[in-house]
Amino acid sequence: MTTVAIWSDDRTEMREALEALLGPTTDPVLLAGGASKEAWSVDAGGERLLVRRAAGGVIHRHTLSLKDEFDVLSAAYEAGVKVPRPIMYVEDLDQREAFVMERLAGETIGRRIVRMDVPAHLPTQMAEELAKIHAIPPERLPFLQEARLERMVDELDDVGTPHPAIELGLWWLRENRPPHRPSVVNHGDYRIGNLVVNEGGLVGILDWEFAHLDDPGRDLGFGLVRAWRFGVDDKRLGGIGDVDGYLERYNELTGFDIRPEELDYWELAGNVGWAIGCLTQAERHLRGQDRSVELAILGRLGAEVEYEICHLLEKIAA
Amino acid sequence: MSERPTAQELTEAIAEFLGGEILPTLDDHRLRFRTLVAMNALGIVHRELAALPPEDDAVRSELARRIRAGDVDPGMLAQVKADVEARLRIASPRYLERYE
Repeated sequence: MTTVAIWSDDRTEMREALEALLGPTTDPVLLAGGASKEAWSVDAGGERLLVRRAAGGVIHRHTLSLKDEFDVLSAAYEAGVKVPRPIMYVEDLDQREAFVMERLAGETIGRRIVRMDVPAHLPTQMAEELAKIHAIPPERLPFLQEARLERMVDELDDVGTPHPAIELGLWWLRENRPPHRPSVVNHGDYRIGNLVVNEGGLVGILDWEFAHLDDPGRDLGFGLVRAWRFGVDDKRLGGIGDVDGYLERYNELTGFDIRPEELDYWELAGNVGWAIGCLTQAERHLRGQDRSVELAILGRLGAEVEYEICHLLEKIAA
Repeated sequence: MSERPTAQELTEAIAEFLGGEILPTLDDHRLRFRTLVAMNALGIVHRELAALPPEDDAVRSELARRIRAGDVDPGMLAQVKADVEARLRIASPRYLERYE
């Protein structure tokens, strides 16, 4: 029973550290804990709170620090994006950096959301929030890095194993670049699974740690990736709806006039990015940064995404 | 070697999970005993895999290198897809049904 004993010790210390900041709290509950980050649920002053805290392990490359993630969340909140209200950044919460935000009520698990009775306007809501995110002035977040195609190649080379399907995807993306568009603030992981949803629709957008500067199409197409349809493959937008209304609403609000073919391009780019993501996650396990069966198996399940890359390339060639 | 984790690395990950996360939670003596036996069995698989020759991925490496260099021909996609399909039949065979 050692695991349980360690957790309750942690929880006591966590509660003391939180009470020093927030006044009396309920017992904090550890919702998720990897080697790099933890999430704690706690209530204080009549508010439902969520604490994101560093876990001491090696942080992913190209992932924002908690301080920068808190800044991005705050910028999104100021821009009127539906996000949990940011409350405070804490440099030392029981010896580790953390931030506190509102804990939204709703569903986040993708495979449950695609089976829920979600309203028909969820796709246009997703477009509306994305338009607001892409209107955040990049100067507001000077630490954000540009991440174009080249960064994907670097990440693949870091892994070091040969993946012809990913190479073929990257080759096609290089050869068929759409017209250049100025970079905007990208969420970086905008898809079902990172959105809080209830029967009324979109409640909030979570997980800002992959925010970066990029073509607006990158965010717009990422939610179309088959892996994020959670088995409901005929609904191209995240297993919850069609793309037409989503694209139309986004264009209406941003004036970007992104063409359906451009969205196809970014859907492929999203798949290539996630195929490489699977490999880099498995590398965290293989290099001992975060030993976990869940990360390990992604190294093999990435073949699903590679198959989708081939499927999309066949469709394009047809 | 291009399939990572290798089969052997997967057995290690499972053994760590059973020993580090499952075993400490088991109070039932019979379950503890059978879990230890299962971990022993996994150890056998691990050592047996160690005796196998490593995967030959020369074809895959050459293909990846050519595509990176921009040396792409029209027949390549079918070849690449067949290779991915063969890997999927091991890693996640049911996934292929989603394309039927």
